Amino acid sequence: MSQTASPSLWQRLQQIPRGYVYALLAAVVVWQLVWPIRLPIAPSTPTDGVFDAIRAVPNDKLIIISADWDASTQAETGPQTTAIMHAIFRAKRKFALLNLATPAGVKLANDRAVAVAKQYGARYGVDWCNWGYKYGGSNVVIGLAKNIQAAIQIDHDNTPVGKLPMMAGVKDVHDIGLVIEVSGSQMTELWLQFFQGTYGTPLANAVTAVMAPGYYPYLDSHQLQGMLVGAKGAAEMEALLRSPGQGYAIMSAQSWAHVLILLLIVVGNLGYLLARKGERR
Amino acid sequence: MPGPLLAAALFAPAANRSDLLLRLFASVVLSAVLLMLAHKFLRRRGRRVLIVAVTFLGGLLFTLEYFWPTHLVKGRQVNFLTDWIEPATIALSIIGAFTVGLGVHSLTQVHGRLLLRRRPGWHNSLAFFISMVAMFVLVLWDFSAKAKPSAAGVLPFHNAVYEILFNGIYQPLIAATFSLLAFYIASAAYRAFRIRSAEAALMMAAAFIVMLAQVPLGAWLTHGIPQAGPLGYLGFFRLERLGDWIMKSWNSPAQRGITFGVAVGALAMSLRIWLSLERGTFFSQQPEASVEGNSAGSATES
Repeated sequence: MSQTASPSLWQRLQQIPRGYVYALLAAVVVWQLVWPIRLPIAPSTPTDGVFDAIRAVPNDKLIIISADWDASTQAETGPQTTAIMHAIFRAKRKFALLNLATPAGVKLANDRAVAVAKQYGARYGVDWCNWGYKYGGSNVVIGLAKNIQAAIQIDHDNTPVGKLPMMAGVKDVHDIGLVIEVSGSQMTELWLQFFQGTYGTPLANAVTAVMAPGYYPYLDSHQLQGMLVGAKGAAEMEALLRSPGQGYAIMSAQSWAHVLILLLIVVGNLGYLLARKGERR
Repeated sequence: MPGPLLAAALFAPAANRSDLLLRLFASVVLSAVLLMLAHKFLRRRGRRVLIVAVTFLGGLLFTLEYFWPTHLVKGRQVNFLTDWIEPATIALSIIGAFTVGLGVHSLTQVHGRLLLRRRPGWHNSLAFFISMVAMFVLVLWDFSAKAKPSAAGVLPFHNAVYEILFNGIYQPLIAATFSLLAFYIASAAYRAFRIRSAEAALMMAAAFIVMLAQVPLGAWLTHGIPQAGPLGYLGFFRLERLGDWIMKSWNSPAQRGITFGVAVGALAMSLRIWLSLERGTFFSQQPEASVEGNSAGSATES
């Protein structure tokens, strides 16, 4: 029976127990959430695009925020939605919340809208409304373009949308100035196909960082006016609005978590390369 | 009554509550009778023919309506099939909604069996039933009562319990489950990312740049590199600009290529499903016994 040699230092560098990695990451995140090291945030071009698109919406047109997210992605999509609402109210525009994918997310977005509206003294039905969850995905988007009131019928509180003051004169796609899709899934494609692609309505999105690479081609082709990329996008929007919020707070933790992951990769590779060098000798 | 008008009348929104209830009742009874008749009289071949025919006709309607020449009516480009599209999409939505019921039925069956037989993990099944029933009852209660907080801001009982279940349990549970991914990603990146080849080295360099460019720390690390003046060309090496360059100049074309590839694949797959050529469509992979029912099953066994 052969005796197993104890691992060398270089091998041990490649085999840090999983529990230690988890504990380190948790410690870094908690440290930065409690004692954040604030670093300046410079808005990127895609975030500028969303900000400019909101301000370019004519006063008589409505902005649709399609908040297709729920608790699973709210660390990123939640602050994004809040920052977008702030930007809309600051620009004195009106918005309608809609949910096409995640029924459980309606309440989450609504709670955020209520909180933001309170800060601006905005009134439900006059400055903003919530169309609630509508089942049907592409069918709803197609229907919205032709007849908004027929496609939506009732809002989140079962009030016929036709009775909301802000909906007077809002009939079809021509009364929509901008659609902003906020989601952790591929819902932007629906709006690209059946709204932006068909009628040329301006479209922007806010997605989780992992989804963002897939949407760069649409930014290049100007089918998307702009994009908020993960929590960073929310933080950049807050920087543009000069009101640091949840996005800013998350970015400190995310910064150092990224650094930790990169350090771990470096340590693992250092161990791998030095162990290989030792074997060659 | 012409076809489109009949369809529009059938699928038009209900005029009032009693009309809605009447329609719901009639639809449920009619659907149940049709399903029972189909189940009783159609054998494997018949069921297959029915499903293949409905699939083909559904696909044909949308395809023909899209490609058929149109003419202008009241400012809309229409053809003879346009009026059928809305009823068809509504029917599609209704059929889709039935899948929720199918999901509940399936979960109830699986967890009910585990619970009744006290199989390992039965307590999870019990938690499932309690959560499902609690949320179902409270949401329906809330939906029908639509109670508002009192002047003192006190929520009605059902509303308060719903808030506790949703904000206090459901939301943190889902968020916590997904936040675990960050830990797995950190561990997986540390274990799996090794520079074993030139390609891996390139990938790692790109990952380092993009990861740092995604956070303010990256921009801060290289903020000393001038962006203007005689050395302004060096500004390209600021991490945020390098990250942007990788995303736009390298990632974007690659994503575009993937999108084209996926679209062509989806087209081919759609065509195969539409024409029921796809292997495994409907019953082709099911054994005869499971389709024909118990009698056929016992005949096979005997």
